[in-house]
Amino acid sequence: MTIIHVFSRRRLWPLALLAATLAPAAALAAGYPQVTGARLAAAATDNGWLMFRRDYAGNSYAPFRQIDTANVKDLRLVWSYRSHLKEGYEGTPIVNGDYMFITTPKDHVIALNAVTGKVLWKYEKSLAGVALKTVCCDVVNRGVALYGNDVYLATLDNYVVALNAETGRVVWQRQIKPADVGYAMTLAPMTLKGMVIVGESGGEYGARDFIVALDARTGRELWRRYTIPAPGHLGGNTWPKGMYKHGGGSAWITGTYDPSTNTLFWGVGNPGPWLAKLRPGKNLFTDSLLALHPRSGKIKWYYQYTPHDSWDYDGVNTPVITNLRYHGRQYRAVVEANRNGWFYAIDRLNGKLIYAVRFTRATSVAGFRNGKPYTDNALRPTLTKQVFTCPSFLGGKNWWPISVDPLTHMAYVPTIHTCMTMKGAPTFYKAGLPYLGETFKVVHDPDDRNWGALQAINLDTGGQAWDHESALPWDAGAMSTAGGVVFSGSARGHLYAFDARTGRVLWRSPQLSSGIIAPPSTYIVDGKQYVAILAGWGGGTPIWGGQMVESVSNIPRGGHLYVFALP
Amino acid sequence: MRTRGLALALSILLAALGVQRGEAAGAPALFAAAQARAGRAVFEHKCAMCHGRRLQGLSGPALKGPLFASRKAGYTVRDIFLFLSVNMPAYAPGSLSAEQYVSVMSFLLQQNGFPAGRVALTAQAAATSTVALRYHGPAGRRGQHDRRASDCAAPGARAPSAGRTAPRRCKPLAAGAAGSARRVDAARSRPGAPERLR
Repeated sequence: MTIIHVFSRRRLWPLALLAATLAPAAALAAGYPQVTGARLAAAATDNGWLMFRRDYAGNSYAPFRQIDTANVKDLRLVWSYRSHLKEGYEGTPIVNGDYMFITTPKDHVIALNAVTGKVLWKYEKSLAGVALKTVCCDVVNRGVALYGNDVYLATLDNYVVALNAETGRVVWQRQIKPADVGYAMTLAPMTLKGMVIVGESGGEYGARDFIVALDARTGRELWRRYTIPAPGHLGGNTWPKGMYKHGGGSAWITGTYDPSTNTLFWGVGNPGPWLAKLRPGKNLFTDSLLALHPRSGKIKWYYQYTPHDSWDYDGVNTPVITNLRYHGRQYRAVVEANRNGWFYAIDRLNGKLIYAVRFTRATSVAGFRNGKPYTDNALRPTLTKQVFTCPSFLGGKNWWPISVDPLTHMAYVPTIHTCMTMKGAPTFYKAGLPYLGETFKVVHDPDDRNWGALQAINLDTGGQAWDHESALPWDAGAMSTAGGVVFSGSARGHLYAFDARTGRVLWRSPQLSSGIIAPPSTYIVDGKQYVAILAGWGGGTPIWGGQMVESVSNIPRGGHLYVFALP
Repeated sequence: MRTRGLALALSILLAALGVQRGEAAGAPALFAAAQARAGRAVFEHKCAMCHGRRLQGLSGPALKGPLFASRKAGYTVRDIFLFLSVNMPAYAPGSLSAEQYVSVMSFLLQQNGFPAGRVALTAQAAATSTVALRYHGPAGRRGQHDRRASDCAAPGARAPSAGRTAPRRCKPLAAGAAGSARRVDAARSRPGAPERLR
């Protein structure tokens, strides 16, 4: 077998035609299956893939067993779809019935038949008149959310757009901030209790970010939670006078929801400017996990992962809701592999730390006292002092979401091994310009010549269960399945299937047309299980990656959706 | 009517001579032509991977045109130079020489329609210049017209601020390059491509 055989369009044609012919008429006639609140609540067991991390808990675990450790090696390409845009592809393919929705850079949405790959409609957000000046890490989009008969998109120019799922027609759209003045959105929205919830990016541009809930039917704003409190509000006294106005705190990754405590969890990003010396204080709620009342956005509790951050350690990595047993005690937990290099398990009832362990070299956050992190103050840069610390600002893990498997009781964590030099630098705030106050360079971890890894962490101990090292950074999200298989993609452009228990590589796809920075998804239509992945290198690494940039500079660009299944 | 007709004729004449209205209105000469040429070389090597060889924007923003250098954004030369010289390129901020930063700044000015002059730009001058950084039309007047896709406005884009020449409409940047089958072949036959199917 050669790659030419696998990816030849001519070879795919008969297959696609056959599939189209065989597609059951009844399913087509039934039209678009409505996405109710009940279906979203039960998304974990749905045959589709209804939201960003599959279910509200954020596990990215599918209870499908058709593809398993024994037969995964037989996966074949069923269909593929190529996009003409060359920037990064970070979207998760979302599937409802036999409808699939993918997004591309610059906010295009494409609806496809999930079995045949036939394009049903395309929507392109008009970005005419938008300069995309305040988008830090590539003009990406991470996918759509579903509710009722609508598909929701959050855009780089700060619109939330509701599209009709069958036609792609705009049902409503609402701009929640002007474009190009520090704010942008790249995340997949969340739909919950008739709301569509999104968060703003802009931690590098002096934004004052927020999470906002809109009425899913009309777009009317229901609540707005600023992540940087004003004076007089909880945490408002953790900022020097006036600095909260440009304090960052982006909310750029979709949150999770725990029905048992009726809590919405959302991560908050780094403070602005980056140089901490300029803003004495804890700088709440930056680099924190927020536990919110979903109906009001009010804060129940918070946990700050990195106090008074000077290293750009966003706390926006997806918080995953799971239960675990630690030192003989059962906990209802929320776990997260944080940008600062520590893996956190937090009691989701009260926000108290259960444990924190390093999952890569981490020196800036040096340890924990009374359940709270403390930092190594010698590793804080100043205008005159350059420091060397780990991990780099790109993190021990960046946004690429983990997966939690309830059978193995492991978390699968995309990891990068980096350190950095960092020094203070002059900065000033001006709307539409970056607001950093530091210079930096990402370099190798002195003890690890690999840039990346996918590793498994035992949830009950925090210890490493297995580790798949990679010379190149590992910039893709993870997914696990009941078939005992963990899927994730490499920078070289292979979709990998690992044995969930041991980390053994069970299968590796032929090299795809570009590197992978997106998470995979899986779904069942007419009794057949499919695995979908977007290839399309880009994102933050090639822009900010320092020494890493050279190692990834030859990765071909371009977006390509691939769908695999057993023969 | 007659006055309007005369003005139109004059503007056509001026356009034919390569004189942009913005320049006529006083875009100052801040750099020497050789600096912009040197800046282009640095830009292509250090910046184009994110901003595009034609400054049209890729993963990083476009660095020319009415949307970048707009009245609304209100940038001065100083604003852009300070950020550029401290924080760019993003993978190694501050790693270029002062001369290189100044040359890249000259190139950006040139590409936004500022004319070259006899006096060279210095780092000191760039870091203190309060000249408004506005788009003054396509770069390289007087026979060096460099009309490329990035000199245009996307359909629906607002015209630049009053008194400026309206940009022409865009042609798609990648026209003809989107033939997916061709690109698959191209990628496949890339020489020395690592880790092909084993």
